[in-house]
Amino acid sequence: MQEIRVRFQKTGRARYISHLDLTRAMSRAVRRAALPVWYTEGFNKHPYLTFAAPLSLGYEGLAESMDFRLIQEVPPQEIVRRLNGVLPEGLTVLSAAEPVYKAKELAAARYRLTWTGDLSCFAAFLAQETIPAEKRTKKGGTKPLDLKPFLQSADGLSEDGEASGMMTMELTLPCGSSQNVNPSLIAAAYNAFARERTGKERAAECRVLRTGLFCAQGVPFA
Amino acid sequence: MNKDIEALLSQVQKPGRYAGGELYSVVKDPARMNIRFAFCFPDIYEVGMSHLGMKLLYGLFNEQPDVWCERVFAPDTDMEALMRERGIPLFGLESRDPLTAFDFIGFTLQYELSFTAVLNMLDLAGIPLRSADREDGCPLVIAGGPCACNPEPLADFIDLFTLGEGEEVNLELFALYRRHKAAGFRRAAFLREAAQIEGVYVPSLYEVRYHEDGTIASVTARDGAPAKVRKRIVMDLDSAYYPDRFVVPFIDIVHDRAMSEIFRGCIRGCRFCQAGFIYRPVREKSAETVNAQSRALCESTGYEEFSLSSLSTSDYTELERLLPMLLDWAEEEKTNISLPSLRVDGFSEELAAKLNVLRRSGLTFAPEAGTQRLRDAINKNLSEPEILETAKKAFSAGWTAVKLYFMMGLPTETMEDVAGIAQLAQKIVNSYYQNPNKPKGKGVNVSVSVSCFVPKPFTPFQWEPQDTVAQLEDKQRHLREAVTTKKVSLHWHDAQVSFLEGVFARGDRRLCAVMEEAFRRGCKRDSWSEHFSLETWLGVFRDLGLDPAFYANRRRSFDEILPWDHLDYGVTKAFLAEENRRAHENITTPNCRQSCSGCGAACWKGGVCTDARN
Repeated sequence: MQEIRVRFQKTGRARYISHLDLTRAMSRAVRRAALPVWYTEGFNKHPYLTFAAPLSLGYEGLAESMDFRLIQEVPPQEIVRRLNGVLPEGLTVLSAAEPVYKAKELAAARYRLTWTGDLSCFAAFLAQETIPAEKRTKKGGTKPLDLKPFLQSADGLSEDGEASGMMTMELTLPCGSSQNVNPSLIAAAYNAFARERTGKERAAECRVLRTGLFCAQGVPFA
Repeated sequence: MNKDIEALLSQVQKPGRYAGGELYSVVKDPARMNIRFAFCFPDIYEVGMSHLGMKLLYGLFNEQPDVWCERVFAPDTDMEALMRERGIPLFGLESRDPLTAFDFIGFTLQYELSFTAVLNMLDLAGIPLRSADREDGCPLVIAGGPCACNPEPLADFIDLFTLGEGEEVNLELFALYRRHKAAGFRRAAFLREAAQIEGVYVPSLYEVRYHEDGTIASVTARDGAPAKVRKRIVMDLDSAYYPDRFVVPFIDIVHDRAMSEIFRGCIRGCRFCQAGFIYRPVREKSAETVNAQSRALCESTGYEEFSLSSLSTSDYTELERLLPMLLDWAEEEKTNISLPSLRVDGFSEELAAKLNVLRRSGLTFAPEAGTQRLRDAINKNLSEPEILETAKKAFSAGWTAVKLYFMMGLPTETMEDVAGIAQLAQKIVNSYYQNPNKPKGKGVNVSVSVSCFVPKPFTPFQWEPQDTVAQLEDKQRHLREAVTTKKVSLHWHDAQVSFLEGVFARGDRRLCAVMEEAFRRGCKRDSWSEHFSLETWLGVFRDLGLDPAFYANRRRSFDEILPWDHLDYGVTKAFLAEENRRAHENITTPNCRQSCSGCGAACWKGGVCTDARN
């Protein structure tokens, strides 16, 4: 059995594919590519695919990760070639290789956030002592979270963002099974902050691009 | 435009419905196109994308080098609100161009309650609702599908209807359109000439006069349009176009699988069933063709499941030969075959086990009526011993649930027939408990689904009054009281919805005004129960001085001119009248393979009409 980890991009129109739908789309792509992939046993046999970090609906990703097993060996180049021959617009496989790290070793992700709209409150937003957010828990409740530490280390905040109404920032957020922070929390926090000052229901839109996945200490997840 | 649409997508539920970009969606260079066709399905994406006819015509149209066919579905309420708020017109999924940029806007009419959704989509596109208000530069608005067999309630809104199967007639329309476009398109001239193509009905070329009592006095064709328009059909399905790829959606749709059409038409002639008459005669595809097409589709799409598509699938004469051919590769590819509406009793146990027939779909019967007397009257050829025998087999194989489909309000139905539904369900429950090997501690569940009968054009019941809402609700009450066990669960359709369906099914063109006014008052999603409001409709009827009961609940005489009499589906009015008489005498009619009953479909000189009979 050959273990394979595929890195792929999910961009353009493909960002409207939810995680559940992506699973189905990839499963069909693997079938179209006629890869000798290992199927689950049981009544509804399907290719066994695992994704290290689901990407929210509407986000784009440049280094997404998907694992599967092959029951016959296929050269990695050949896997990449065959999948790219059958994937729909917006999904592109970049590489295939044997996994180095286990999925549970994934710890963080790098994001590029592109803000548009009314950004006039952004400096004040960042200057808060704490930047409070409400994170939903699995049990259906919420728990408070301070976003300040993540935003302090953000790069590339352009100076003129407030004036031009467009701004890009890059930052790293926890990502994985032990802790996970979705960039949507930042967008929600800013819009809540701006709502009190500007009265606008939704002051800014935030487009999210995930650029990389990492293990602890910033080691690239491979 | 594109940016405006993108901005909406991040704010609506299931943006995958509007995003496009699915595998095998077709993108062409608009500059090199002669004809841009917007294929509109007046329902949401998940429903429309499940429809085989749309997949077929989408593939066929896009095979033409100078034609670009795109898909358009009805937006859900959230998307519609945003589009209206921001002034974004309805657009094609592939190009995101507004519908006004197209040459043809083609609607498929699958059910009557989608008619107001057609108006809503035209309105969202910024296209005048009425044909008479459209200028030369405006796209042609055309429609086809089963409900085009009585298109009169939409006569004022649709420029032309295509009757019957769409493969050939649409290509002929395109050829005519190319000529007119090159010579400078004039709408009226185009429509006049289009009416000369067999299967094309241009309603504005027909004048309808009425008697005092509201019935039709005459229908007169003008400008050389034919007095009768005959539907089109494809005779040889083996050589007919069939797509080797489907657009593979990202989001989950109602029927998310590959589908192979195995035949058209139905031999049965159940008297309530419109499909059983308007698709005649039965024409089969060979097992070899079906096998090759199925395999090609599964390979190109990667679908993990595929089904055979037809009416009454077990009547396919080559089923026993086809299934082993399909299983041969499907097992290896781990592709599931799902078979709808099959009679399980015809199969060897080995084949049934391989197909997982029972496990996948459960055991389903459609007796349609509760007593043998009424089943004879509607010509539903399924006897009680057959049902009980199959149920018994299934129970001894460990099965514990059965689904039964019935109709209520059938012509000649009495309360005895209604109670018969409960009695038949009870007999199935009893048969479960008579089984000595029944699983310990497990009960049986017999689920009974009852819909309300709606008389349809081109059926033997086209003259019959539909039961009123009060009558139907009374019968529902009677049935509820007749069921005495919790092992039987009852479900039924809303009688009010069926009433409105009945009005439109047999309506005339005076209903166009009702349709438009109801749309203005907010009726645009009648096929979604949460948006349906009979009260609004009744208000419109009252205000416009029309009586819906005239259309739904009135018995017509055999010599009355019906609103669809100038349309010809092969089956003759004389045959339908004879079938009606036999229904009232509880006499069944043999199916097309047993003997020919002379319905009229033999005029096409093919299919089952020329097959050797056994």
